[in-house]
Amino acid sequence: MRRYRLRETALILVCQIGLLAGLLAAWEYATSSSKLSAFLFGSPSAIFGFLVQMWNDGSLIHDTYVTGLETVLGFLLGNVIGTVLGLSLWYSRFLARVMQPFIIALGSIPIIALAPIMIIWFGTDLASKVAMATLSVVVVALVTSYKGAMNVDQDQINLMRTLGAAKRHIFTKLVVPSSLGDIFAGFKLTVGFALIGAIIGEFMSSKEGLGHAIFKAGSLYVIPKVFAALVATIALALVLSFIVGRIERLLTPWRQVP
Amino acid sequence: MPSSALAVAAGHDVPPLRAEALRKVFGEEDENPVEVVGDISFALAEGEIVSIVGPSGCGKTTLLNLLCGLIPATSGTVHWYGQPAAGTPKAVGYMLQKDLLLPWRTALDNVTLGLEIRGVPDGVRRQRAHVLLDQLGLHGFADHYPATLSGGMRQRVALARTLAHDPHVLLLDEPFAALDFQTKLLIESDTARLVRKERRAMLLITHDIEEAVSMSDRVLVLSHRPTQVKSVYTIELEGDRMDMMAARHDPRFGDYVAAIWGDLEIRPQ
Repeated sequence: MRRYRLRETALILVCQIGLLAGLLAAWEYATSSSKLSAFLFGSPSAIFGFLVQMWNDGSLIHDTYVTGLETVLGFLLGNVIGTVLGLSLWYSRFLARVMQPFIIALGSIPIIALAPIMIIWFGTDLASKVAMATLSVVVVALVTSYKGAMNVDQDQINLMRTLGAAKRHIFTKLVVPSSLGDIFAGFKLTVGFALIGAIIGEFMSSKEGLGHAIFKAGSLYVIPKVFAALVATIALALVLSFIVGRIERLLTPWRQVP
Repeated sequence: MPSSALAVAAGHDVPPLRAEALRKVFGEEDENPVEVVGDISFALAEGEIVSIVGPSGCGKTTLLNLLCGLIPATSGTVHWYGQPAAGTPKAVGYMLQKDLLLPWRTALDNVTLGLEIRGVPDGVRRQRAHVLLDQLGLHGFADHYPATLSGGMRQRVALARTLAHDPHVLLLDEPFAALDFQTKLLIESDTARLVRKERRAMLLITHDIEEAVSMSDRVLVLSHRPTQVKSVYTIELEGDRMDMMAARHDPRFGDYVAAIWGDLEIRPQ
């Protein structure tokens, strides 16, 4: 059974690599044989060339670092604020009902519409991008953690009460840990949102970062460089969600049933 | 324990739990109020095991929640050691069909939950939990997470958690209903042993007539909604009352089961 599954995993990996290689080969062939304009569509070899060039002049690492830092800071800030607010709304039904329309209103604002204000308030450096990333995260984190807190089994709460638990015991020993599942599911979602927020911030006004590189290369019609920065963005997203997954596994050992 | 102090203060003839003319109507302000519990009175004596059986949906669980103070009664009173109840009583152990174990806690940490809430020191509560887990045949499983235990083992952990704070009265709502027959007999026997040896009182809500007869000193049969006590059986069986298999060997066992079955008026759906 286990060997069978291992073989299936290997087959899936081979298919994935094959699909990617086929796509790149077709793209390369189409642009080199002038069936597609290399100017408009770039080509895998040109993208690779730009990646090497950006690696050599240090901008690849630097821009990835800047965007990564903005994303991580926004992710952390947004999740801490959102989760604390979301969980504390469990404490007071009254407050939750008062806040509900405001949360829905805040959640329905397209984050990009806030970018100009964030630039004005926080300047063109790191702070405004972190603010954008935070805003992209905070409402999602709030809603998922509140939902998690409200989904706690009523029988479980009754049991805690018969064991003599006060509301604060129920909160710390039951509501918070049982919401962790939803909160972590939110982490996986919001790490992507934080990256989008940071990139949008960089698009608006910036001197560095992957969003800056994409925007600048796009304005100059250097399409392969746009793709090169995009590749770096995708790599950053993959690395960040991998790390979030690892942290989740580390913090919820009871979920891994041997 | 505060409960034993209460017991001493009240004298031994005062029952630990007494319900008096208990009624519960849901949706009283609505057009169609539903009377679920209609005038129930009974007492649970010290060291006594009483079962409550009744037709499905007759309000057994509502009755239990009234007794625990989890929901307020429409009228009537619940007395704990002669005192009218206010909120959730301190010396009660509560257990349901769902084990309600917290998945992020090990078996041991699940058992100590109630002691933790009461502020019992770590060393004391761990020791108490180990003793209980050993008594229930879970030696060596203290550090296992619930997800790695079988249904029977999980329910044993739940029983240990129920007993950990040394409650004088146990209120159990179909705690063994989800278990297979063999496991059920074993856990029933363990429960009877732990309850009878420590002279605890136990109220068992069940739909399993054989379970009610084999475990209890008395069986109360409830009627359809609004539920009332329809009949009371005092169970007298030969032999070891802590062995559920032995109980079934007594010829009167079958008579009790048949009589209670007749009282239940189970109608074809």
